[in-house]
Amino acid sequence: MIRLSVMGILVVFLLASCSKPQQALDEAKAAVEAAKTEGADIYSAEELKALNDSLTAAMDEVETQSKKFFKSYGGSKGMLAKVKAEADALKASIPERKEKAKNEALAMMEETKAAVEEAKTYLENAPRGKGTKADIDAFTADLKGLEDSLTSVQESIDAEEYFGALDSAKTIKEKAISISDQIKQAIEKVKK
Amino acid sequence: MCLRDWRFVVCLFLTFIAVGCKGKPVPPEVHEAELQEQALWRAGAALYTPEEYDQYSKSLRAAKDQLIKEKAKFPLLQNYQEAQMAFQALLKTGEDVQEKVEDHKLRRSEAISSQIASFTKRIDNVKKLSRMISEGRFARSLLIRTELKMRESDLLYRRGDFIEAEKKLKEAISYLQDVEDVVFSVLGRYRDESLLKKWETWIGETILESKQNGAFAITVTKIDRKLAAYKGGRLFITFKVGLGPNSLADKLHAGDNATPEGKYRIVKKIPLSQYYKALLLNYPNEEDQKRFVRGRAENIIPPGVGIGGLIEIHGGGMDSITNGCISLENEDLDKFYDLIDVGTTVTIVGSTRRQNDLFFGQNR
Repeated sequence: MIRLSVMGILVVFLLASCSKPQQALDEAKAAVEAAKTEGADIYSAEELKALNDSLTAAMDEVETQSKKFFKSYGGSKGMLAKVKAEADALKASIPERKEKAKNEALAMMEETKAAVEEAKTYLENAPRGKGTKADIDAFTADLKGLEDSLTSVQESIDAEEYFGALDSAKTIKEKAISISDQIKQAIEKVKK
Repeated sequence: MCLRDWRFVVCLFLTFIAVGCKGKPVPPEVHEAELQEQALWRAGAALYTPEEYDQYSKSLRAAKDQLIKEKAKFPLLQNYQEAQMAFQALLKTGEDVQEKVEDHKLRRSEAISSQIASFTKRIDNVKKLSRMISEGRFARSLLIRTELKMRESDLLYRRGDFIEAEKKLKEAISYLQDVEDVVFSVLGRYRDESLLKKWETWIGETILESKQNGAFAITVTKIDRKLAAYKGGRLFITFKVGLGPNSLADKLHAGDNATPEGKYRIVKKIPLSQYYKALLLNYPNEEDQKRFVRGRAENIIPPGVGIGGLIEIHGGGMDSITNGCISLENEDLDKFYDLIDVGTTVTIVGSTRRQNDLFFGQNR
């Protein structure tokens, strides 16, 4: 009777840690997915990749233990808890990164608008006459093209595509500055 | 139950636990494969060689499953040889994928670089042409957008983001094609063999006429913006000239800003003109009037618009943009103004040669 009781206790002890940490697994997966949905694939792709790798490693550990006769999910539970904590932290950090990208894009947009306005002012003050009409027409059309493109940048910002918007705004700003320089040169040429 | 039995059971249990917990170390290839997979991901294997990367990922999964199977066994029974071989094969596959990715990126990079260079030439070309046509303003606005997309593409290319660079390049090409459609619809006639033949004939006849009567004759080639004066059939002098905003089109009616094409004569010399000095041509000639009537009948001339006139060769400088006239620098005009008589032939043509790919772009 005693022998049977001892054996029973041993079996209970062995099976005590046999249950798969399904809840921890689901929570870790959900946390990684939530970080991705928040925008981690855009704003922190490297960290998301590392997180996914850690999740895969934890799932492999769960799988390994599930196949063992003597199962021990302690390690995998720890791994899953770490993944979840890191995924939660990553998710929490995304709004700040997004806000930073947004602010950079908006600031560049303002700089670009100012550069376009400056070019327009130069053009308005350019001497008009038979000799400059073609140049003025060309520059006016160029600036119209830049203004149209600015609308696309705003659309990108509205769609939360901040990195693309930043690049586009930078390019427009460069072009606007280049047009201003050309107008200044043309004015100088006419003055001479 | 005696004490010895208890000890036996406890020892057996502890042995089981100890043996069950302490497995053999996994082969080093496993860690190498993990690092390799990360490197492939960073290199963009999923984007550049998706099929190969997918196959690699499946092989990695299979090798890991093999490893899990062995790890799950009692340590005494664990044998990683098969898993090790699977990982070794995987590492080899990974190296091949890595090589393919690099090769693919290199080829893609070269293609983008070459496209950027080629389209930049096309943009420069069409930019020059856009100033010669009345639709120039619309074309310029589109051109700027083309240039912006090209610049963005170039930035992405330099960052090594070839896929996004290609997307921007496609957008740029789409804008560029719209611009070229506008510009070349006006300039297409410069590839018309019969028209070119006619222009060549006019020039030939003008030079011959100068040779036969020993007098001056003037030719103007619009595409080259060149005026040539002949004396006795020999080239006397050439100048660069300025033309109007729609100069490459053939003048059809007043206000179209086009420079007429045809064989004209100087009907009046104006020594004190608004534009320094001027030589008035007999535009519209008989042929122009016939075309005007045809244009009216075909409703291609706006109602209430006349045929126009007062087409001159005048001074005021090459940059003095005319509305169909031919303008020269004052000092250039002075070099032949006094030598030219009323009645001198002035032949204006679009071009004397077929415009090549440089003009129209190699892909047009």
